[in-house]
Parts: sequence; C-alpha cells; structure tokens
Amino acid sequence: MGIFDTMSISASALSAERQRAEITSANLANAETTHTAEGGPYVRKEAVFSTSSSSPFQTVLNQAGSVGGFPSGAVEISAVVDDKTPPVKRFEPGNPDADQEGYVAYPAINPMTEMVDLMDAVRAYQLNASAVGAAKQMIQQSIDILKSS
Amino acid sequence: MATTPMLQALQGFLTVTTDRQELVSTNMANVDTPGYQTKDIDFQNALEQAMDQGGGAQLAPASLDVPDLPARPDGNNVNIDRESMILSQTQFMHQIGVQLVKEEFHRLLTAIKE
Repeated sequence: MGIFDTMSISASALSAERQRAEITSANLANAETTHTAEGGPYVRKEAVFSTSSSSPFQTVLNQAGSVGGFPSGAVEISAVVDDKTPPVKRFEPGNPDADQEGYVAYPAINPMTEMVDLMDAVRAYQLNASAVGAAKQMIQQSIDILKSS
Repeated sequence: MATTPMLQALQGFLTVTTDRQELVSTNMANVDTPGYQTKDIDFQNALEQAMDQGGGAQLAPASLDVPDLPARPDGNNVNIDRESMILSQTQFMHQIGVQLVKEEFHRLLTAIKE
C-alpha cells in the first residue's frame, strides 16, 4: 500500500497491454501464413488478462506483519490461448500447401478485428500511462513539502 | 505522532487520498480483465477513520465493490470516465492536503521565530 505501489500496478498494466499489442501484431502479420514449423496454417493467438493475487514483495511484507492493506491489483497475462476457429479453406491448386483437392488452409484472421484490438490496447496503454503521470505528480508534490517554504 | 492536531488530521487525509489513488490505478490497470469488479473506498468513512487515527500503517480501509455499474459481456464493469474523473479529483485533493501541510509548517516556523 502506498503511492509507489500505485506506480507498479500501472506499470504491470503497461507491460500487459504492450504484450497484448505484440500478440495482435503477430496475428496481423501472419494473417496469410499457411506454413508453420508445427505444420498447418498459423493459429490466431489471444491474450488472457487476470488480476495477479499479490506481488512477491507485498507478500513478504505482509508476512513480516508490518502492514495490512489492499490485495495488490496488478494485472498480468495469465495465458496466451489459441483461437479454436477452424482455418478458412481457399481453392488454390497451384499452392505448394494445397491438399489433395487443391484447397489451402488459411488462418481465420479478420484484419478488422485485429486492428480494433490493437487500438484498444493502445488506448488502454495511454490510460495507464496517464495514471503513472498522476502518481508521479503526487509524489513530486509530497517531496515539495521538504523544500523550505 | 504528529506535532499538531492539524498535521495529524492532514496526515490522515493524505493517506486516504493516496489509498484511493491506488484503487483507481488498480481499476484502470484491470480495464481489460474479464470479470473484474470496480473497487473503491467509502471516502467519507475512511476519512473519518483516518482523522481519528492520524493515518499511518494501522489504517486499512475496506475496499468495496462498487454497485450499480453496467457490466460488459465479459463481466468487467470498469468505467473509464468514472476512473479518470476520480483520478483527477484525488490528485487535486492530494494537492490541497500537501499545500495545507506546507502552510502548517510555515505557521509553526513563524511561531518559533517570533
């Protein structure tokens, strides 16, 4: 509990949102990828956000019994899951990845969905960046008490 | 233990604003967490408690789930407008507190000098 924890909570959200933007970018980049190391077309990935129960520092501090307080509400990406949507089949007999009937499996990725997801991640990043700014200002003001008036 | 009753009260006030700031940041951080419920403190209640105790580590105001906020289909009910508003509100309240603390120290100094 305290103003510095505020910053670490916002920082956790910043890194989570950045990771989400990375995953979305990977989806966009691989929208036409039909060939992967695991075989088959690229599978769309999605980030799962969750509230982490407690940061290790907070846990240790609570065990030491010095302060009680809020559960730390830091956010983290708990898992990156595959989208189960079956791949889209396109008739391209000349493609080396085509099956016997001449169909090529393309990943089921809609660029529009990914772009909206990306914008959402960017906006959430901005929101948390402004929360960091607010916390910084409050700390600065508190430090200013020390300055002789 | 604060020097004057005024400083003690201000200490409590600043503690509550800082706590609220942390909850707002938590809400903002979890804007994309499915099933997350917006948390806030009963500001008036926490303030009264803090004024009595003079802030400090013994204070642990309960964080409550905020009722009556419309939830999105994923069960998350964080309202960005509400959080942004409380964020700037808390920031100003903190500024007021800090300004008053400065003023109080200035007064003390004057009293010492006279």
